[in-house]
Order: sequence, then C-alpha cells, then structure tokens
Amino acid sequence: MKVITVVSAKGGVGKTTLAANLASVLAARNRRVIVLDLDPQNALRLHFGIPLDSIDGISRATLAGDPWQTVMFDGVDGVTVLPYGAVIEDDRRRFEALVDSDPAWLAHSLQSLALDASDIVIVDTPPGSSVYTRTALTAANFALNVVLADAASYAAIPGMERMVDAYAAPRPDFAGQGYVVNQVDQSRQLSKDVLKVLRNMLGTKMFPGVIHQDEGVSESLACDTTLIHYDPLSQAAADLRACGDWLLSAIDAMAASSRKLA
Amino acid sequence: MSSAKIPSPETEVSVATSRLERFVDAGIWGSRIVVTLLTVFAAFALYFVVTVPLAFGQQLAFATICFLCALGFRRLQGQYATLVMIMLSIVASGRYMFWRLTETTYWERPLDAAWGLLLVAAEVYATLVLLLGYFQTAWPLKRKPLPLPADRSQWPTVDVFIPTYNEPLSVVKPTIYAALALDYPSDKLAIHVLDDGRRPEFKTFCEEVGVNWTIRTHNRHAKAGNINEALKITKGEFLAIFDCDHIPTRSFLQICLGWFLRDKLLSMLQTPHHFFSPDPFERNLGTFRKVPNEGELFYGLVQDGNDLWNATFFCGSCAVLRRSMVEEIGGIAVETVTEDAHTALKLHRLGYTTAYLAIPQAAGLATESLSGHIGQRIRWARGMTQIFRIDNPLTGKGLKIGQRLCYLNGMLHFFYGVPRLVFLTAPLSYLFFGAHVIEAAASTIAIFALPHMMHASITNSRMQRSFRHSFWAEVYESVLASYITAPTLLAVINPKLGKFNVTAKGGQIAKDYFDWYISRPYLFLLLLNLLGFIAGVVHIVMYWHIRSEVNTTILNLCWTVYNMLILGASVAAASERKQVRATHRVTMKMPVMLKFSTGRTLACETIDYSEGGVGVALPSKLEVPMHERVTVSLFRGDEEYAFPATVGYTEPGRVGLRFSQLTREQEYDFVKTTFARADAWTGWSEGRRPDTPLRGLSHVLLVGTRGIAGLFEHLYSDLHTWMNKRPVDVKKLKTKDQ
Repeated sequence: MKVITVVSAKGGVGKTTLAANLASVLAARNRRVIVLDLDPQNALRLHFGIPLDSIDGISRATLAGDPWQTVMFDGVDGVTVLPYGAVIEDDRRRFEALVDSDPAWLAHSLQSLALDASDIVIVDTPPGSSVYTRTALTAANFALNVVLADAASYAAIPGMERMVDAYAAPRPDFAGQGYVVNQVDQSRQLSKDVLKVLRNMLGTKMFPGVIHQDEGVSESLACDTTLIHYDPLSQAAADLRACGDWLLSAIDAMAASSRKLA
Repeated sequence: MSSAKIPSPETEVSVATSRLERFVDAGIWGSRIVVTLLTVFAAFALYFVVTVPLAFGQQLAFATICFLCALGFRRLQGQYATLVMIMLSIVASGRYMFWRLTETTYWERPLDAAWGLLLVAAEVYATLVLLLGYFQTAWPLKRKPLPLPADRSQWPTVDVFIPTYNEPLSVVKPTIYAALALDYPSDKLAIHVLDDGRRPEFKTFCEEVGVNWTIRTHNRHAKAGNINEALKITKGEFLAIFDCDHIPTRSFLQICLGWFLRDKLLSMLQTPHHFFSPDPFERNLGTFRKVPNEGELFYGLVQDGNDLWNATFFCGSCAVLRRSMVEEIGGIAVETVTEDAHTALKLHRLGYTTAYLAIPQAAGLATESLSGHIGQRIRWARGMTQIFRIDNPLTGKGLKIGQRLCYLNGMLHFFYGVPRLVFLTAPLSYLFFGAHVIEAAASTIAIFALPHMMHASITNSRMQRSFRHSFWAEVYESVLASYITAPTLLAVINPKLGKFNVTAKGGQIAKDYFDWYISRPYLFLLLLNLLGFIAGVVHIVMYWHIRSEVNTTILNLCWTVYNMLILGASVAAASERKQVRATHRVTMKMPVMLKFSTGRTLACETIDYSEGGVGVALPSKLEVPMHERVTVSLFRGDEEYAFPATVGYTEPGRVGLRFSQLTREQEYDFVKTTFARADAWTGWSEGRRPDTPLRGLSHVLLVGTRGIAGLFEHLYSDLHTWMNKRPVDVKKLKTKDQ
C-alpha cells in the first residue's frame, strides 16, 4: 500500500480535482486506487458520481465505531471512494479531537483495509495547516503539493515544506515530495515567468509538465465525473495522464529501493 | 585489388569487427613498400584484364560471370563489398572503353567519322566522370559531430553573417529570428545582417530585434564582397554564413564548432543545404520527398566522399569558417562567380583542412521556377569552369592528389552539356543518314556495352541509393544540358564572360502553365527523335530482308525511344504546376495544444506548419467550425508558446489554423518552436522506397510518358487559347514583393 497525500498551502488551487483525476489515471493503469477524503467539505466524492444527498463517510463511521468498509463506494473509472461524510458541527469537533489525540489513527485505519502492496491510497486534505493535513502527512509515503503559477503560491511553498519536514520526512518509508503546477495559462506572461522561477527553485521535485487550465475541468465536476472521463482528449487530461505516470514512477521507484534495502 | 590504398590512416573509419575487415585494416598496409608493390601488381593485373582479347563467346562468358559476381556482392553489407563492385565495374568499363577505342574507331566516311568522334569523346568523358565519381565517393567519411567542452567559457566567439541583396524582409525574417534563437552564449555571439540593398525597413527591423545591420557604400563582388567588407568590422574567432533564406536550427553552432577545437588546422566546416519547399523538378514531376532531389547526391554522398580526401567544398551558406584562415587567403574569393568553391580551394592550397557534417542544421527555400533553377545551375557551371581556367586544381601548389581529383570531378561534372546532347542525338545519325558511328555488329556492341552500363548502374545504385535514384541523373542533366553548354564553353574560352545572377525566392506561380520558352530545346530534340523514330521504322520496312540492317536499326530505335522518354521527363519538368502558397508547409509531427473560446482544450499533434499557421490532426475525427478563434500552443522542451489563430480550413479529424497578426515576439517564438528545432530536418527521407536500377528506370520512363502526354494537352489548350485571340503570357511568375 502506498499512501499519496495531496496537499496545498492555499485554497482554490484545484487540489481536490487533481486528486480525483490522478486517482482516475492511476486506476486506468490497472492499479487498485482508493481515494480518501479528509476534507470536511466532503467534495471529493462528487467527482465519482456519489449522490449529493449521501451522508455516509469516514467521520461518521469512525465516531460510530463502524469499520471503514461500510462507507466504501465504487466510484466511476473503477476508483474506490471513502468520503468524509456529512456531520453536524459538534460531531466534527469530536472527530477532529479524536484524530488529533491519536497520531497513528489514519495508519491504523488504513491497515484495517488489508490492502495489497501495490494498491494506492490517495488522501485529499483541506488547504493549509490543519489536523487533517497533519495526520495525512504522518501516514504518507509521498506528498504531492499542488501550486498555481502565481506569486501567492510561490510565497506559500516554504510553509508547506516545513509541515512536510515535521510530519513526514523523518520516517524511513517516506519517499519525498513532489510539486504540480495546476491551472496554467501560458498565454499570460506572468504565468510563464513564475513557472520559470518555480522550475529553478524546485528542480527535479517538480512534475516536468504542467496541468493546463481547462474549462472542461469545472464542467466535468458539474457532470459528477472526472475530467479523464468527461473529456479524455483535452490537454488537461493529457497533462493529468503524464502526471499520473510521473507519480507512478516516483512511488514505484520507492518500492524498488525499499526492497533493495530489505 | 585496390582496396589497399583506400582506408587512409588519418581517417576515423568505423571499428572493424569481422576477420576480413581486421585483415584489411591490418597495419601491414601502412608500409610504403607493401603498398607500392601491391599497387604495381594491381595496375598490371588491371591492364591485363582490360586489354586481353576475347572471342565473342569468351567475352560473353566473362561478362556474365563478372555480373553474377557483382550481383552476389550486392547482397552483402558493408563498404568493402561496395569496393569490390566498384572494381568489377571498372573492369567492365575498362574492357568496353579499350575495345571501343581500339576496335571501333575506323570510320569509312567523313560523316561517320564526325559523328563517331563526337560519340567516342562523349563516352570517354562519361567514363572518366564515372571513374572519378567512384574515386570521390568510394568511402564516405560519415563524420560525426564532436561536442564542445562542458565549460561554456571555453567556447569561441562567433559572428553570424546573413548576406542579403534584394530579397524581401519576409523571406529574411525567419533566418534572423532563428539566428537569435541559436543555443549559444549571447556574449560570444554576434549576428550581422549584411544588407547590400541598404533598405530602411531592414534597418528598422534589425534594430527592433537587436541584431547588427551592416552596409557598405558599393556592391562590388556581390555576396563575396559583402562578406569581406563585414570581415573588416567584426572580430569573432569564427564566422557562420547563412544565405538570407537558410534558417538555422538552434543546435547549429554547437554541432559545428566541436571539430574546430579538436583540429587546429580546420578552416571550414560545411553542412548540407536542405530545402523544405519543392524545387521545380519535385513540384512539376510530383516527386517531392519521394525521389531524392538534384542536390541530395552532392550533399548526401559527394561531400561526404570529398571529406575523406580532405576536399570538402565550401558551398557559400550553412557553413562555419575560421576567421584567421579566411583572412590569410585574403577573404572570400572574388575572382569567380562561385566564390565559395574557390575559397575552399585556396584554403586547401595552404594546407588547411575542411570538414563536412551530413546533418541538416539549416533549411531554406528551393528556387521556385525551372527558369530560376536553370539560371542558378548556369552560374555554378560557369563559376566552376572559371576556377578551372584561372586557378586550375590540377596544377599549382599545396594540393594532394586526392584533392586534385575531387576538384577535377567537381569541375568536369559541369561539362556534361555536350556529351548529354551527343547521347540524345547519336542514334539519329544512323536513322537519318545511315552513319555507322560504331564500326561493329550490334551483338558485339551489346556484349561490351551492356556490361559497362549494367555494372555502372548497379554499383551507382548501391552507392547512391539514398541520395539519387537510378536514371534520375539523366533527367536532371537533360533538362540542364542545353543551357549549361554555352556558358561552360564560353567560360573555358574566356573566364571573364558572364555576370552574377541572384535567384528570386519565396514567390508563387499563379496558375498552371507550360513554359514554352524554356522548353524549346527539349521540344526540338524531342521532335528530332520522333522524326528519327519514323525514319527508322520506314528503314526497317524497306530493308526487312537484310538482317544486320534490321538489327542495327532496332538497336538505334530502342536508344531513340529511351531518349524520347528522358526528353519527355524534361518536358514534364517545364510544365509549371500551380504554387499558390507564398509560404511553404513543412510536414512535422509535434505536440500542440488548442484552446477554444469556451475555455476547453484539446491535446493534438501537428501535421505540418508554415510561416502562416499550422495544420493539426484532431483525435477521434473531431470537427471544428470554420472561423473559430483558437489559441495554439507549441512546445520547446519545458517552454510553451501560445499563438492566436483562426480556423481557415476544416474537415473531420483535421484543421488548418491561420495565425492572426503576430507580434514580433510571437513571430520569434514561432520560428524558435518550428524551423529552429534541432530535429526539424532529420528524418526528411523517411518512408522513401529504396532504389533499385529497374525501379528507377521504370519510374523515369513513366514520368517521361506522362510528360509527352501532358505536352499534347498543353499544346491543345494553348492553341485553343491562341485561336481565341488571347495573347499568351509567358511570364506568369510573380514574386511576392511585386
């Protein structure tokens, strides 16, 4: 089991969409993929055709002491979805306190799913620093940081790097972090310039391509599906496929090196 | 037999692996005594094989066995097998020429003697050029580029010269952009547009994009003078010269300069002249990218062969020269109209080396009309003849024998005019006048001449297969022969005759037309051959009972038919096809992103591009409405460049996008992502059918047949127009700047 935690320092960078679409790409590469939504917005499930009025999810299951298997949904593209679930405010606070008090909670819960070594769990988190991001990084084998080609994203990179260093980096089973620049429009000079700066700063840690800005992305969400499903011919879909392959090679390289160590 | 002297020690030939190759590459051949002894022995053996008299049956058997051997060696890979085939071809041609000169040159009548002498002379010339060609291209060096040192501070300084005279700015712009896009440290690179037209719009443009606009007060010595003037005011260690329409790729300097750092005597390195638009042959005969064009033999094989002998010719463009050495010979040569070849000759005479890299690192426009093409070839022919007269490479100091022979072939080659005309008319002397130009029975001629021709054919086909398809030389030469003859002969008499022509480029041909003016010589020859054919048929009917007469007539008739078809192909080349596009499409597959006004995108691949836009293949037979506005993104490595465009052509699965008004920056970006790509011109000949002599022959004959059929169509339609009292305008060639 490989856990990929998708993080971002800022909101509105398309993190949830990226997590959903990457899950779809990896599933298309014949991997079993589970997406886990740790964001109280509970929006990840919408990409996978799960009805809007469904309230089940890991928050409710955890509080009720039910196994996670009871809240697993079969989403589009063969992706298994673990939604956050809809909870009232008091329950959310209780859940967060529970998560905060037990750093190993996520790892244990994932263990209980009894996944294969090659299975991939993609964890979506709320933007910035939160108990969810913290716990997701604690369980992560790989951290994928989503940024935009703008000044604010650039400025927020060191903060997120510190979080990764604090919660994920010390572990031997953590392979490292990668960066993806999302929603890029290179007809704008500013985007081009920031992209150049990001490339210089992040070097090989960055996905060599970019994810292009594409209206198809929002349209796909309106249709309760992923972009890979909705518009497979678009540039953004091509970018996502390339990004998925890059991600796969990163985590598989990790698997190979850990086998060598063992 | 002669292989002992081919792999010279200073060349870096491929690593020998097989036992045979190890044997051939062994150190023993380096010994002067061994080589001399073997050479004497080989010369004696060759003399014996060529001169020994054989009876009819014996010669037939010998020729058959030799040819079967050649066919056997043809199945083997490698250059040594080629050398054996060359040797067999030399034997066959040697026997033929010896027999021809000793046994067939007694003529009974003065008329026979006149024709006969002409034909023998033409054959001697053709055989000499064949042998020189074998020598020149026996072992193409196939030099590989050397990398520059990793430390960029050690890279030398370079001046890029783009000489221009009267070409429109639109033609020169891509070259300037591509020069700016060269991957080279900007503090070591200076770009100079040498504007002999002294045009204000060039000045403005050069200032805007940040290159030097250099002028002089006069136009003496045309391009050579222009460059020499610029040499005085620049100081880079090297100069790269690009004709104003030769667009370099970004890798040009890095690919070319490596050898200069290794070989301190290297004075000039030439790369191929590659053309992304069809030349008149390719356009009018429909052979673009299917059959190697006229220049490909030279740039694909001849120059690579020259390189072995350290005799690479400078071709005026797409080359790098070392300044100190060019200055030592007094700048680019100005004495002849082919200043480039003469410059290389002068460098060779001083003992400097030259190099050739057969990697297209620049590309340009081919001449667009047959008349322009012919004009250019006349200039080359005249220039080479001038050099032959005023600075003969066979004499004078400083040259090695290999260099002298390569230059000799380079010059002799341009004298093909007279021999070609003789071959095209030789059978007529018999058909019209009954002249017996070869005093021998038809069957005897066959057993000597056929091996000569067949060996030459399969050997050349093997050596040249990627660069010149069999029998196409006949077409190219026949078109040019009538025009090249007079200038070369005049220049032999007086090298001063003639002046420099600049070939118009980047034009368009408004509609299909037949160039009656330029094709007059072919039509005349065609008519003669047709009459000869009729005369021959009549002759056969009248002398049916005399077998030898019938045989000889049939032999001559076959030759006449062949000549007519070759002339038919020449006629077809003069049938100008419409060329409406002012810019040319270059086929190239590369990733492209389309972004529509809805904000949706498509990931696609290009089909082709031109200066005005791109053709894009759409996945899943998609269709895009006409006039839709689209943003086109092209990529260069990590970088992406977006261009505004509108849909100008659409069909399911395919769309043609025309760029809207591009800014200077965008024009630059476009050249950078297309023409200047390092891999832009590699793989140009992919998908061509490989050459075999028979396939080449049947293709040429087919083209000839179509040419004759087309001639009658044009004749009919033009006569029709003429009858309707409309004046026929022969000058429909328009250039864009008019």
